[in-house]
Amino acid sequence: MLHGKSLDPYKYVFHVILHPIDGFWDLKREKRGSLGAALLFVALTILTLAVEKMGTAFLFNPNRLSEINVMVDVITVILVYVLWCVANWCTTSLMDGKGKMKDILIAVGYALFPIVLIRLPMVLLSHVIILDEGAFYYMLGFISYAWALALVFTATMMTHEYTLSKTVFTCAITVIAMGIILFIGLLFFNVISEIITFVSTVYKEIRFR
Amino acid sequence: MGYQKLLCRSLAAALAAGVLVGGVLTEAAEVRAEMPYDTYSYNYWGEEVQEPHSYLYSRTISSKELGSSLNYPSDLFLRDDRLYIADTGNSRILITDFSGNLLSEITYADGEADRLKEPQGVFVTKEGHIYVADTGNGRIVEYDENGGFIRSIGRPVTTLIADSQVYSPTRVVVDGAGRIYAIAYGINMGLVEFSASGDFQGFMGAARVSVSMFEYIWKNYFSTEAQKQRMETIIPTEYSNIFADNEDFIYATINNLSDEDLAGGADVVRRLNPTGVDVLRRLAAYPIIGDLASTTYGYDWSSFVDIAATDYGCYFILDDEDGKIFAYDNDGNSLFVFGRNGVREGNFQKPVSLAVADEEKTIFVLDNTLNSILVFDITDYGSHLLGAIRKNNLGDAEGSTREWQEVLKYNSNSEMAYIGLGKTNLTEGKYKEAMEYFELGNNRKYYSKAFSYYRKELMERYLTKFVITAAVVFLAVWLVKKGLRGRRWVGEIRCYMENR
Repeated sequence: MLHGKSLDPYKYVFHVILHPIDGFWDLKREKRGSLGAALLFVALTILTLAVEKMGTAFLFNPNRLSEINVMVDVITVILVYVLWCVANWCTTSLMDGKGKMKDILIAVGYALFPIVLIRLPMVLLSHVIILDEGAFYYMLGFISYAWALALVFTATMMTHEYTLSKTVFTCAITVIAMGIILFIGLLFFNVISEIITFVSTVYKEIRFR
Repeated sequence: MGYQKLLCRSLAAALAAGVLVGGVLTEAAEVRAEMPYDTYSYNYWGEEVQEPHSYLYSRTISSKELGSSLNYPSDLFLRDDRLYIADTGNSRILITDFSGNLLSEITYADGEADRLKEPQGVFVTKEGHIYVADTGNGRIVEYDENGGFIRSIGRPVTTLIADSQVYSPTRVVVDGAGRIYAIAYGINMGLVEFSASGDFQGFMGAARVSVSMFEYIWKNYFSTEAQKQRMETIIPTEYSNIFADNEDFIYATINNLSDEDLAGGADVVRRLNPTGVDVLRRLAAYPIIGDLASTTYGYDWSSFVDIAATDYGCYFILDDEDGKIFAYDNDGNSLFVFGRNGVREGNFQKPVSLAVADEEKTIFVLDNTLNSILVFDITDYGSHLLGAIRKNNLGDAEGSTREWQEVLKYNSNSEMAYIGLGKTNLTEGKYKEAMEYFELGNNRKYYSKAFSYYRKELMERYLTKFVITAAVVFLAVWLVKKGLRGRRWVGEIRCYMENR
């Protein structure tokens, strides 16, 4: 091969998204994927969402260009990705899933690829279609997310060697766990800020005495 | 030396320019400061955007001009160059000119003994016949153009209104066919409709009952009889005022809705066609509810008490909550908002009715606490803005374009102007320019239309070139490939020959 073995995990994503069951199985068993590739796909997803917000044609862009904040996309994608992986790892460790944290990170990263694959060309497409043809555009957008979601589901099933019903159950539990983690996180954040305020107040009191 | 001179000169020029600009600015600021209110409109994003005044307060018609003081007046009507005032507290109708000179007075119906009692509504037909909603006496009285009594239309003869129900008409309008529509206290089935001969015809434009699904299910399936009885009966809404436009459609306002209904998107302005169906166009990005900021805080909703429409579909709505006049175009886009409740001259206390003079040159607003009429005159900006819409409505695209360009000189934020200019460019076939204007005006619907034509134009222009280029490239590739293969074939033969 001309490209050597290092490029393989990147090309392998096309196999994964088209043959998810087989693809995710080999991704873990045969170590066909890499964490670097997975993180690249996450970064590409962020890029796609940012490009979409800024580059989509006027007709299909409900955003106000002067008020777009790319950091929102960056934080949203990273938060959802990390939160899902952590929550999934927490629940599956208790429900004898076979996947390690690294496996989950890699599988979910690969599963995000349809978003990049479909939504980036959609930005170009938006510049040549009119509102009447918007149904195709919105349909494509729907497919991109539905595909990615189905892949995340398959990834969970294959990585942890679950049955279908157990995967459905695990996914539901994972979503609940995400909520709990978010709740605890906010609570923690609140308590910390309270503590900081308290300490600074005490410090000020002492200083002004 | 020369350099210093230049520096001095440019400094002086800058100073002069500064003084000039400063002068202009303070002058502009003074004009703004003189007016006891701000003028603004809502943009595509639902934000208030300040704009030049469309109407300036000019004078007040009070007891001094009228010769006698008003007492809690309720309604103002304008026909030709006459003002008709329902002076409720004094039980009379006043007819004045635009300066407030009293021309005549109506105090009784059929004979001097038959006096009016607290009339709240007055309407004048194109022929000059005066209709008065004689609220206290529960009847509608018609007069001829000289104030002579013609007839009196009393309580509707129908079983639809309970005998115990008091019938008190408060507002009346008459359409071109002579049909009479009235709002009456406590009647929530819509407008009371009479035929031209005065016979009761039925109710028209009944306001839709707004019951939430939860409320409905709870009331019908889950509550006991006792609970049902205790529960507040859900009554439909009543209209607060009506206005018949030149097409005999009736504009109606509603102002007694609860905050929950308003937050739920209930409509407070309707345009009823002769069968009573609401046909008001709501194509703007925001609802026609007056001030939008109130939706964020959930209180202080605009409360519409009167409405007046122009011949070209623009309408002015009077709000007594903040004393504002909201102007909308026929698509429901906010044109401008002005006026304020307050104590300065030109402010309202409790505005109750408005009337718009021909060509919208003047707006008269009746205030029942100040007991006077406030008069607002249109500015250049306002007349360009309304003129552009009027001309567009008449099909005068050229005139409309000129007016929109004037509007932009005064107010470069005017989305309406950009959309107007976009439409002109669209009809003229300048699709690219039209697209740019529609983007500035944030109108995706028309942008899409312009873009579809522009795309077609591009295709027509470049498709042949594209096809030819593609064919040439394809042919070239094919030839080169064939040439290569040919050479390989030659090579193979040579190889074969050599090996033999």
